[in-house]
Amino acid sequence: MLLIHCPYCDEARAEIEFAYAGEAHIARPPDPAALSDEDWTHYLFIRSNPRGRHHERWRHIHGCGRFFNAVRETVSDKFEVTYKAGEPRR
Amino acid sequence: MSEALARTDPVSGLAFAGQGVTLSLAGPMARFSLRTRQPEALEQLLGIELPRKIGTSHDGAACLGPDEWLLRAPAGTTLAMGTGLPLAITEVSERSVCLIAEGARAAEVLAAGCPLDLDRFAVGRATRTVFETVEIVLLRTGDMRFEVEVWRSFAPWLSMALESAARPLR
Repeated sequence: MLLIHCPYCDEARAEIEFAYAGEAHIARPPDPAALSDEDWTHYLFIRSNPRGRHHERWRHIHGCGRFFNAVRETVSDKFEVTYKAGEPRR
Repeated sequence: MSEALARTDPVSGLAFAGQGVTLSLAGPMARFSLRTRQPEALEQLLGIELPRKIGTSHDGAACLGPDEWLLRAPAGTTLAMGTGLPLAITEVSERSVCLIAEGARAAEVLAAGCPLDLDRFAVGRATRTVFETVEIVLLRTGDMRFEVEVWRSFAPWLSMALESAARPLR
């Protein structure tokens, strides 16, 4: 079982309390109508899927309920850092 | 409103007494979900002090998230609704029931399904968490007393699971 540090609760809590919510720092285009189909497809479906440091969103769903961002090493599954939503990319 | 309805408990007579732990069902109480980004306004309206640290409780109010509190009060309590203020007060008295685990080994029984480190879960703490896969709000109201708030429809299963966990202590 992984322990994940929730930046809102300021506590390491069991993975079972959390929900994964995809890659982080993907901003919705402000004017979708101005995008080409290719760009829109890219926004909707194409993710970086790196081998290594991955920025991702998690939600402490069975806790404080907040979304936050995390940097996880996808090879070792180790959480490097977690930080509140809205804070700059680490 | 809820008093007018015929009241039925989802678990009738949870009463387990083992060595070092007793399980019981708490009586009816009033519960309110309080949401606001301006806790000062809420405090002024209700005349209570709200805990600001997530996972702690004070005077029956548990801080569950940065903008969310669960207030538990004696049955029949009513609150001002704060019309026009930037806050939401929702009565959720009948949403959940409260199971009580008491005794020197109560923490062990809860640890059967709760991933929290209960040794470090000090008196006065309160947090949303899980028991197995069922969402609960766990409150430590005394050195040897835990209260488990669970949504009604999960209560029969949870009380059975707690009894099973406590059975070796009979």
